[in-house]
Formats: sequence, structure tokens, C-alpha cells
Amino acid sequence: MSKLNIPIEHATLANGLRVVISPDRAVPVVTVGVYYNIGFRLEPQGRSGFAHLFEHMMFQGSEHAGKTVHIKLINSSGGVLNGSTRYDVTNYFEAVPSNALERTLWLEADRMRSLKVDKENLDNQLAVVKEEIRVNVLNQPYGGFPWLDLPPVANRNWHNAHNFYGDFTDLDAATLDDVQRFFKTYYAPNNAVLLILGGVDPAEGFALAKKHFEAIPAGKLPPPADVAEPPQTEERRATVQERLGTVPALAIGYHAPQRRTPEWYALAMLDQALHGSRAGRVYRTLVLEKQIAVEASGGIHYPMGDVLDYNGPMLMVTSLLHKPEYSADATIAAFDQVIREVQQQGISAAELDSVKVKFRSDYFSTLEGGMGGYMPRFGLMHYLACFTLFDDDPTLVNTILDGFVAVTPEQAQAAAKKYLVPANRAIAIRRPKNAGVAEAA
Amino acid sequence: MMAATTQQPLSPLVPPLTLERPVVWPPRVEHTLANGLRVVLVESHTIPKFDAQLLFRSGNAIASHIAPGLAEMTAACVRTGTESRAEREIDETLRRMGADLGCGGGADNSSISFSGLSEFSRDLLLVAADVARNAAFRAEEFERERRQKLEEIKIERTTPGFLAGERLRKVLFGAHPYAVASPTPEQVAAYTREQMIGYYRQHYVPGNAILLAVGDFDPPKFIAQVEEAFAPWKAGAREEREYPAPPQLCGRHVHFVDFPGAVQTQVLLGHRSITRQHPDWFALSLANALFGGAFNSRLVMNIREAKGYTYSPRSSVHPLRQHGYFSVHAAVRNDVTAATITEMFYEMDRMRSLPVGADELADTQNYMTGVFSIGLATQDGLAGQLATVYLNDLPKDYLETYRERVRALTLNDVLHAARKYFDTANAQIVVVGDRKEVGDQASLFGEVSWYGAQGAPIG
Repeated sequence: MSKLNIPIEHATLANGLRVVISPDRAVPVVTVGVYYNIGFRLEPQGRSGFAHLFEHMMFQGSEHAGKTVHIKLINSSGGVLNGSTRYDVTNYFEAVPSNALERTLWLEADRMRSLKVDKENLDNQLAVVKEEIRVNVLNQPYGGFPWLDLPPVANRNWHNAHNFYGDFTDLDAATLDDVQRFFKTYYAPNNAVLLILGGVDPAEGFALAKKHFEAIPAGKLPPPADVAEPPQTEERRATVQERLGTVPALAIGYHAPQRRTPEWYALAMLDQALHGSRAGRVYRTLVLEKQIAVEASGGIHYPMGDVLDYNGPMLMVTSLLHKPEYSADATIAAFDQVIREVQQQGISAAELDSVKVKFRSDYFSTLEGGMGGYMPRFGLMHYLACFTLFDDDPTLVNTILDGFVAVTPEQAQAAAKKYLVPANRAIAIRRPKNAGVAEAA
Repeated sequence: MMAATTQQPLSPLVPPLTLERPVVWPPRVEHTLANGLRVVLVESHTIPKFDAQLLFRSGNAIASHIAPGLAEMTAACVRTGTESRAEREIDETLRRMGADLGCGGGADNSSISFSGLSEFSRDLLLVAADVARNAAFRAEEFERERRQKLEEIKIERTTPGFLAGERLRKVLFGAHPYAVASPTPEQVAAYTREQMIGYYRQHYVPGNAILLAVGDFDPPKFIAQVEEAFAPWKAGAREEREYPAPPQLCGRHVHFVDFPGAVQTQVLLGHRSITRQHPDWFALSLANALFGGAFNSRLVMNIREAKGYTYSPRSSVHPLRQHGYFSVHAAVRNDVTAATITEMFYEMDRMRSLPVGADELADTQNYMTGVFSIGLATQDGLAGQLATVYLNDLPKDYLETYRERVRALTLNDVLHAARKYFDTANAQIVVVGDRKEVGDQASLFGEVSWYGAQGAPIG
């Protein structure tokens, strides 16, 4: 197996901003990202949804680029842009023809230096965010399942357990003052990483980064939020009503071991054996063979991310839609049979090898595009950012696979026995209100 | 009021664009097998993988007289085993090669898409060819897929966005097969294995197919592997069928799908439009991008950024093979349903009445040409662009000349396209929401036909 050798150059500016450049001079397109080490898990207690609402505010204007200017300048330069709020990071990213690199960096620097928004902007985005939540969660069958359902059942620490999209009452309580305070606290250059990938000359990239970002003053960062989860001693379950969907939904989440430990690598490979593609044991057994479920998917950090892009406690999730003629208990019993098999018989060396090949292949695709797929090098940007913010080492992108490849069948079996036990899991159930939407008379 | 979107002068600090790097279109290698299968290859060495699509120029439309959704259901079954490989063997073989393989069927086309590590290209091509030639349609897998389809379409009928799109297709296409977005439960229950096998034998044939591959390979070697895998495939030709014409719709009409308890309303208005072969396609694409296709478009700036009615409003031109259609969509809070429809028509009419600004034209030209380059930067992006060209019989130099053709468009072209193709007078307005909450607002825009979520008219 050939070693990865993606070119990575990195430096830290005087104000603490880390800059990572991965050049590929052959392409006429450049991908730019700014990642801040603040995600919805880390938002202040009692302010559910604030990190995400704030992400919207970053598009509402900065000192030299007022409302809509950011969007207009990127689109009219031939580029696309977006942002997203995740567990431990919030990111802003653009893919543009490489002749718009300096313009893009200028825009990102302007909003890192000076968020300039007013009450009208806040009210506007509050309304937009509410429609986002309605279209994705409240007016959608299985909306938010299982990413909003499992955390409050599985976790006891508010940071891990609250409504990440936000309760409307919490969102309504947001003030401009909160917005500016959040900006000052978390959006400092020393809490961020800038990434430039693709059609860029590294020397030029670093020079432009210095020119536009280095004068932004560093901030005094608050102590990191305590996201530790107290140990769980017995299984947790909760059932809620599914208002629209017609079949029952059920999700099982096991607390995963700490990232980058041998047990974590082992559980990650076991996760692939369980949830990877149609050959994965969960899909094969429950959907294809026993035909209890009509849909099955899952993974560590599913469905918000993957095994490589979070930093803190996390669940390995199995998400099922099952036939109404099977009860939740019968479905869980069939799932438990799958788990028992890997605990008692383990997984063969051949299966493990095959899982590793697929993992490597998927990793390449994620680096190239990945996670939505509409931006070249999105995955590479994403992993470089996470490894910089979480591990202070972007070059892990080239070596992280080694840890997964080293997992033995014995380690995978041991991880199954230790982690895939009822006392370490939570189950969230959605029971449909209707067998179908009845025809109005 | 549009106060919040009034263009402010740009700061003099905005860095200018530097010199553009040339967009180099990698050469295509074309090859035709003796059985008629066309092969198009493009090298792309971004990652040690390749992305391939075996495309068939037949879909649900051509089989609609036999059973609606037949191409899609056939595709689901094709994936479930061949005469010599059980389903599990296929899945495990793919995993061992780091590969994915999926089958799909749409209105006009069907596909077997596969991607995997280049080192296994020969074996992956052999599996794909086996799936294309020797699918077994075993009874047990067929019944399982049918049941899954049944549950899937029941869930679709609880999805407001689906209900809106389905109703618009029904209204715009009438007796034409494009009218059917999804089969009914009764139609799925009536599917037979023999229908699937018949469809497969008739349409999964080399003369009806094209194999596109983009990736990290050496073309001559890859062609030899394609020959090995696909040469034994028995020849067979493409078939065509005539369809009833879609209706001529005159005047605005409201089509309201009642969704009791909805906490948000789906607005989807539209009318029929042109296909990609039409000479006005580029002008209409640009008019659409400027109007509502991009983030920085008039529609988004108005009803999202100025008014906060919605999260992701968009307009699109949907180019099916025989007819296209144009649509404008937003999911909005209930109390601004009428206001949203008013703004959609206002923005469409503004495009029809006044030339857009020269700066808007230039901005949109840059947007379209830039996004086009970005779309070529990944293997699957490149494969998608190739599929567009070959499935629509576009000129050979379509991709190479795309940017010039966009840049050549004038203010007059855009005005002409909007006048001709933004048909506000005859637009059909689909609303999916709670009739008790928003029925009155919808009624302001024309005569209303009322439907239930299962599709039947209600009083």
C-alpha cells in the first residue's frame, strides 16, 4: 500500500492564527477555509442553537464588506461559499477560481477582524434559521433523526445533551450584545486555522495570509468548556412520537473510546465492519437477510460527520427504519444478535482486511471532494483543519490511516466486548402517529 | 421594500481579480466495442481511483405504459445478484476492492455507477459487466425490494417537498409520462418479476448504452480491460417511443395539497420550458442564475436576505430529454405564503420588463464560468459533466466552448430569454400546507384545485 504524501506546509502567524497550505499548482481553482474552534457542543449553557445562529451572522456584514457583499463578491468571482456548525468547529469556506484568492482572503480577514451587524440583520437571520429548522426538522418526516434524538438520551453533560439546533425560546432570547460577545470570545485568530488548497503557490499564500490576517489582534481565550461525560452504568431509552413518517425509527448509540487511542482505532474498524456499505453486518443482516429494517445506516459521529472530525465524547450510532410489524424490542433483539456475533466470534482477518481497503478508498474520495461533494478538496480541508485545531498537527492527514491499518482482529473483538454492551448505550425511538397521512374528506 | 438589498458601493479595499489561470480540458479517448458499446475515457489523477458510469438511454418514461416507475424498480433489482454471483458475494467483492456500485433509474435514463481503487479496475469492470448482462432477478430479492419501495413511497407522501414536486409534474405534463414522479402503492404491488426481466433484456443492451470513466488509469490498458469485460455482451439497439403531448396550460391556477398540521408552507410555481438542445438554453440558464439560481440572486436576496421568509429559496430549469420545466421554490412560514408568491412573480416580471444591469450580467457570467471550472476539479464532477454531454447529444465541443458561450451573452439575450421563458401569465402555483392556515392566502392567486396528501382531489 502506497504511503500518502499530500504536500502540506504550515506556519503560525504572530497573532496565533495557524495557516495550512496544500498546493496543487496544476489546477485553476483554489479552496479556502477558515475554521474556528467553537461548535454547537461548546456553546454557552442555556443558549441552545446560538453557535449556529451566530454562523449565519458571519454572513451579515463586516467593516468593509456589508450585508450581502460577502456572498456577492464570491459568487461574482466565479465561486461558491457556505459555512456549517458542527460539534467542535464552525467553518466558513469558499471554492473560487484561483485568480480570486486574495479577494477571498481579504473577505475572511475582514469578518475575522470586525463583525458589523445590526438588530435588523439579527431579526432577519433569526427568521431564516427558524425556517431552516422547520424545513429540516419540524415539517419533515424523521426530521433531525437521530442526531437530535440520541444526544439528550445518551448524555448527562449539558454540552453533549442539549438541542444543538436550538429551542425557539432560546433563539428568540439572542441579543446583539450576545452576538458581539460571542464574536469577541471565540472568533479570535488564535482560536482559528486558515486553509488554502489547490491552485496556490505556497510562498504567495503565506505572504497573503500575513498581509491580511496578521494585524488582527489575538484574543484572550476562555478556558476550554468541560465536555467530559460521566460514566454510564445502565442502558438509557426514550421514545417520542414521529408526527409524519409512517414506519418506526430506532437509533442505538454506544459511547466511543477517546480518539486516537488503540481502542478507538479498533472500534472504528469494527464500526466499518458493522456499518460500512451494504456488506456491513447491520445492513446485510437487518435489511437484506432478516428484512426487519427497510433502512439501516450508522457510524461513529453519524450522521453529522465521521470518525475523524470531532473532538470529545462521541457515539457510535446505528439508525434504523423498521417494518411496523416488528416491535422495537424485536428489532433491538435482532440487532443484539449482530453485536453478539462480533463479540463471540470476532471478525476474521479477511473481513478486517477488506474493511481496511474500503476505509482507505473512502478516505481518498473524501479528501478529493467529499462531504457534500460540491467543493474540490473539501475533505482535505476539513481534516487538515480538525487535525490542526484538535491535535496541532495537520500532517496527520498523511499518517492517520496507519493507526487503522494496524488494528488486529483481537483488538476489534476486544472493543466489541468492552464497548458494545447495554450499559454503555442509549436507544432513541420514534413511534409514528399515523400509518400514513389520512386522506381529508 | 428592498432597502436591505440596495447595492452599496464596494469598498476600494476589495482586492482585484488577478490573471486567470487557463482551464485545461483533459483530452477524451473514445472507443466503440464491436457490440456497439461506446466508451469515453478521461484521465484524472487527483486520487488513485476511478469513477465510471454505464448509462442507458431509457428510463421510466419509455416503460410507463407497462408500469410507472419500472426503470427505477428494475435498477433496484439489478443490484441484487447475477446468475453466477449472489448478492452477498457482490457486496463483499466490492468492499474488498474498495468499491461502490449503485443502480438507478430516472425519467429518461438508467445507470450502473461504480467507483473504486484503480489497482482493482479489471475486477471491478468484470463485476459491473456481470451486473449489466446477467442480473438474476431472484424472487426473494424482488419481493424484498418491492416491500422497501412500498415503505419508501409511503414516507414520500409525508414529505412536503416531495408532494409539491409531484403535483407540479402532474399538472405540467398531464398524459405525458414525465407527469409521474412516483408510482402508487397499488402500482408497486402489481409489479412482476417478468416486467423487470423484460425491461432489462430490452434496454440494458450495448447499443443503448455508453460507458464513461474518469480517473487514475492508463487509457489503452483500461480499454483492454473494458473489452475483456464487455465484449461478450450481446448486441442490442436503442428503442424509441412516442408519448402524448403535455397539455397547453392557459392562465394561472393554484394547486393546493392539504397537509394538516404543517408548520411551514411549500410554494412551488412553474411552467414547461426548453431542453438543453435548444439554442436559447444558455441565455435561459443565465437568466435563471441571476433570477434565483445562485445564492447571490435576486430572489434569494429578496425573500431570504431582505425579508427573512425562507431558508433556501431557489429557481431551476429542469431539462428532461423531451421537455424541460422551470420552477421557483421556497419553504416559508405560514403567514407569508401570499407575500412569497407575490414576490416570486414580482421578481420574474422585473426580469421580463427591464434589462438587468451590466454589472449583474458580468457577475452572473463569472459565476457560471467559475462554477463550471470548479465542477471539473473532481473525478465524479467531471464524470457528471460528461454524462450531460453524451446523454443529451450535445455538440462534441460543448464543454470546451461552454465558457465562451456564456461570456458571449448580452443584456438583450437575457431580456429576451426572460420574456420568452418566464411565463408569469400562465404559471402553475403549487402550495403544500395546512388548508385551514393558508388556504385563503393561496386562493388570492387564481382558481384553486384542492388535493389530499395521497393525491386525490378533495372538495
